[in-house]
Order: sequence, then structure tokens, then C-alpha cells
Amino acid sequence: VVKNMADEFDFEQSSSAAAGDERLKSAVSAATMRQYSGRQARLGELRDADALRELAGQIKQHALDHLDFYLERLIAAVERNGGKVHLVSTAAEAREVILGIAEKAECRSVIKSKSMVSEEIELTGEMERRGLDVVETDLGEFIVQISHDRPSHIVAPIVHRDRAFVGRLFSEYFKTAFSDDPEILTRQARGHLRDKFRRADMGMTGANFLVAETGQVCAVENEGNVRQSITTPRVLVTLAGIEKIVPRPADLGVMLKLLARSSTGQHLTVYTSLFGGPRKKGEKDGPEEFHLVLLDGGRSDILGSKYRETLRCIRCGACLNACPVYRKIGGHAYGHVYSGPIGALITPLMHGVEQYRELPQASSLCGACFEACPVKIDIPRHLVNLREEINSRRINGRVERMVYRVWAWGMGSPVLYRVMGAVQRFDLRRRGGKSGWISRLPFVAGGWTQVRDLPTPAPRSFHQLWKSKPK
Amino acid sequence: MEEQAKMNERVLEKVRRALGRGAAIVDAPVAPEIHGAIAARVVEGSENLAEIFARMCGENHVGVEFVAAGEMSVRLVEFLLHEKVKRVAMSAGGLVSRLGAAEALRRGGVEARMWGEITLDEVYDFDCGVTDVDYAVAETGSLVVRASEGNGRALSLVPGLHVAVVEESRLLADLVDLFDVLGREETGSAVSLITGPSKTSDIEMTLVRGVHGPMRVQVFVVG
Repeated sequence: VVKNMADEFDFEQSSSAAAGDERLKSAVSAATMRQYSGRQARLGELRDADALRELAGQIKQHALDHLDFYLERLIAAVERNGGKVHLVSTAAEAREVILGIAEKAECRSVIKSKSMVSEEIELTGEMERRGLDVVETDLGEFIVQISHDRPSHIVAPIVHRDRAFVGRLFSEYFKTAFSDDPEILTRQARGHLRDKFRRADMGMTGANFLVAETGQVCAVENEGNVRQSITTPRVLVTLAGIEKIVPRPADLGVMLKLLARSSTGQHLTVYTSLFGGPRKKGEKDGPEEFHLVLLDGGRSDILGSKYRETLRCIRCGACLNACPVYRKIGGHAYGHVYSGPIGALITPLMHGVEQYRELPQASSLCGACFEACPVKIDIPRHLVNLREEINSRRINGRVERMVYRVWAWGMGSPVLYRVMGAVQRFDLRRRGGKSGWISRLPFVAGGWTQVRDLPTPAPRSFHQLWKSKPK
Repeated sequence: MEEQAKMNERVLEKVRRALGRGAAIVDAPVAPEIHGAIAARVVEGSENLAEIFARMCGENHVGVEFVAAGEMSVRLVEFLLHEKVKRVAMSAGGLVSRLGAAEALRRGGVEARMWGEITLDEVYDFDCGVTDVDYAVAETGSLVVRASEGNGRALSLVPGLHVAVVEESRLLADLVDLFDVLGREETGSAVSLITGPSKTSDIEMTLVRGVHGPMRVQVFVVG
């Protein structure tokens, strides 16, 4: 059962449950490791991957620093192309605008390709409630839709499901014999969705980039459903966040070299589509009407804060794949649309640090996410800042604040640090006894020894050894 | 529409405030320079573009063949007859139509129609699309197709087999070059980069080729 996102979020509960699910853990782990090693190999093909990441980060940062200017330029360009731009503040406004477009153009059937922002505004459910025949056309998202689930990875939405699950689901949905062969299952979905493509009134896509100068949307994919969305339906709506802008077409050259490599370990996705208006005179396919709906949804607040850099994110999923915490708990445990290190940051920033106060703790600060990020967002630094903010605004629990205070007090003084170290060493060695292993610790530390033993510390500290070292 | 302009202005105002600006910027800001040396993976002149393109096509599971201009028409017909296609939809008004292969195909028992003669809906019942290509990118092995009056979007997307014909002079080294060129030209209403047959790995990361686009792609480079 999928919990409503607005319900009280309990990260401790959701993450413990996920960490205890062996099948989930091994599926997520295998998928993320595979994408991660693909990324490593592909980045090596570039002349200077690090310099390119730096440049990509600068381009995105520049666009954010002048977002007002580029948004106006984008609006003008889309209008020049014959399309319309709708800037909306909230999820509710976004839904109203999109449903309004559908109603005005008398659309009954909608083919929808993958869009994280549409998850943010819970669009598909709302369309279904309003009686529209809406279908998710990305294979993974289609599976998510018919199983009433939620995507658990930015790029691979059903990474938490195995083939047997999909086999049972399809056999029930299509009323066919069971098969768990991915090829057969894919063909079934292909046939079903092809019919939908052919008859759809309205197409919906997300955007990977918006080019301010030309008013073009850039959307990447492997399956061909985005291209179907921009080919057959007479109305096309693209939904994206306001932060997706890059200034010039040339910037796409830089971004596209990094996106697929960082994401799925491809040098480029199979399809990269650029579009930004209705079909031109004389063309026989493509939309007659084009709308670009751009959501603020808390982004302007982040823009005005010290976390502005986090808006550079191009949603490649590399930080998820690199993260030792994500690999253990998967995406659903993060309680919202965006998971992994970037989710631990932007979910509290967009939807309230009070409700999501535990998320910034879902990191060991190992720095793998920063190293993987194609636009060089310093995720660990922002996580620490956010933790600090949560602590100083007293949003966290009293015990936690007290622990931090004691810790800061001890770590702030070399004498205290040594005394506390000596006390701890004495206590742990006493607990370990002859065996040299500690299998139970008191209080909060008990959580650590619940699933593993702790070796006792050496009799003398590193400091002591260093001091007694012969000169 | 007045309503929408007001909503747009409201969000723009919020963004300006977040950036600490009282009013809109007048002068265009200068975006970071893109150094070819950092960004380009393939540098034109130093390597053989056709060779790189062919290698990348192989990696992308795209069939590739280099054909002399005078032999292209015959080779295309031969290829399609060998593939036993039944219904072929073709780009109009470009290289493909100049090849004049339709007549020979009809003689071979294949229903060959130009984009101008069929509807979008009919394309769903064709098993092959033969299209013109505006550019090809060596770095990635991509085919770049601009939507136009003669070159419908559906042709390279809907039929199960996509056959592309591109002149060798249309080969570009790198994505950076491509977007340079596209930025300077009239791009039309849509551009698609095609880098292989459609595919998915959504179910247990198992690769399956042929989802919502073609199952197979073949490109002929005309020298």
C-alpha cells in the first residue's frame, strides 16, 4: 500500500523496513552498481571529464543566477514559435492549468511520458479522477501506474520490482498466460500502448533542458514514447520545473555529453528530441497546439537561499547509484518523489524541513554523491548546512540536540577530547573482556550492535603511540 | 489570456526577489564560454569521421553501409526486397525521393508511398520508413532528423524498420558542432537525434530492443 505523501513521514520507520527487505536490497543494489560502473567507464571516454563537469556546473549556475532574465527570454522565444508558456506557483495551479488546457481543447485521451515534476504534482491520479483516459507510456512508469505504485528511482522507476512481479501483473492486466520473460512482457506493453498512441488527443512530456534562446524543450529517452507524444496528438503539453533552463543551444552539447553517461552509462540516449511549438505550415504530423507549463513549487525559495546550487540538478540519478545509503534502502524510504542524496536535500527544502527533518541524516557524508554529480553540486556540504539549520532552529528532538552539544563541547577542547577518549577506551575494553568483541552496547549505541559486533579498541590511542615513537 | 500573463508575472516577480533584484535585467548576461578543447570528444581533421561514425553505429546496433551516389537507388531497392518489407513509407522532397526507388519497389511487389500521399494514421500500418537525414554525428553515431513538410516525424518512428539515407558531406564530428550548426539554422518545429533502435531496461535491467520506436535501424551513407 502506498502512503499518501502528505501523511506524517517517519524516516526511521520507512528506512528500517526497507533495510530489512532482502529482495529489495539485492535488486536495488544490483541495479545501482551496474549503472554506477557504466558511468565510470563512460566518463573515461571524455577528454577531460572533470573539466567538462566543472563547465556544466558553471553553465547551470549562470542560468540560475540570471533565471529571471532567461525565463523572460524563454517565454518570448516559445511565443515566437507559436506556443504558450504558463508559469505556475503551486502544484494545484499546475494541475488546474493542464486540466484546463485539456478541457478547452476537448481532449479525452492522454499519452504521458515520464516526468518527475508530474509526480510532484500528482498529475496522473488527478487526470484519472477527472475522467481523462490517461496512460503512462514509459514501460517502467506504465508498470507503476497499473500497480498503483510509486517510482523509486529517478531513472529506473521500478528498480524495486522483479520480473516475476511484472509477469503476474501483466498476466492479470492483459488476461494472458503468465510469462516473466522481459522481451515478451515488453512486446505486450508495446502492442497495448501503440493503440493508445494512435488515438491520443493530448501528449504530455517532461523536459531535461529548456533552451532560453530558441524556446526549445530538450527531452531524452530510450523507448520512443516521448517522440510518440510529440508526433501523434494534436495537443502537446510539456511540464517542467523553472530551473531547467540553459541559455543557448550550444549548452546542450555540454550537458548531453554528461547526462546519459552519468545516468545509465550510455554515451547518449537512443532519442534526444528538441521541440518548442506547434507544427509548421505544411507539416502533417506534430501538435497543432503547444503549451509549456513551468512550476515554481518551492524552487524560488531555494533560489533565494544558500542552497541555490542544488537547483543545478539535472536529475540523472548518479548520486542515487553512488550512495551507500540509497543502495541499502531504495527510493521509497525517502518518502517523496526525489530520493537518494539529492532527495535528502531538496525534499526538505521544497516541502518543509519540519516534516522531513530526518532526511538530511540519511547520509554518511562519504562524498560519493559529490564525486558522481555531473554538475558538481556539493551535496555533502549542503547536507551538513541543512543539519546545522535544523539543529539551530530546534526542529529536531531534544536528545539529539543534547548529544550535539556534548559532542561539540568535547571536540572543541583537546584536553576533553583526550579524557573522553580514555574513558571510552577503558569502558569499551572492559565490556569486550577477553573475547575482544563487544556484542551489546547500552542506550542509542545499542542500535549499532544489534546486527554486528564491535571489536574492542587498542590499549593505546594513536596519539599515545605517535608520542612514544622513536624520533 | 490576460489571466495567464498576470500569473507569469507573479512567478517572475518571485524569482527576481529571490535573486535580490528590484527590476528586470536589461543587458544580456554573458554565459560561460564553451571551449572546444574541453567539450569536443572528436576533433574534425584529426580523425576519419566516416570511420568513427561507422564504429559508433556498430556500438549502437545500427546497420551501416557506405554506397556510391550512382548505386544508391539500386542498393536501396535490393536491401528492402531482401528484407521482405511489404509497405514502405518514404520522405518526400529530398534525397530519398530523388533516388526514385518507389517505382522499382512497386515492380518488386512492395507498396511504396511518399509522405505526401499518406496520412499519419496510415503510417501505423507500414512496416518500414525510409527517411532523409539532415546531419549525422560521428562522436555518437546519431542521425539528426528535422521535421518538415516532406519529412514527417512518424516516418522514422512508427514503422518497425527505419532506413536512413545520409550524404557523407553531412557528417559532423561532435555534438558541440551539431548544436552550433542547429543554433545558427532554422531548426523547424522539431529535431530528433536517433542513436539506435528503441530499447528499454526497465524490467530487471534486462535490455530489450524495440519498444515504442523501430526495432531496427539501417543507415546508408552516400559518398
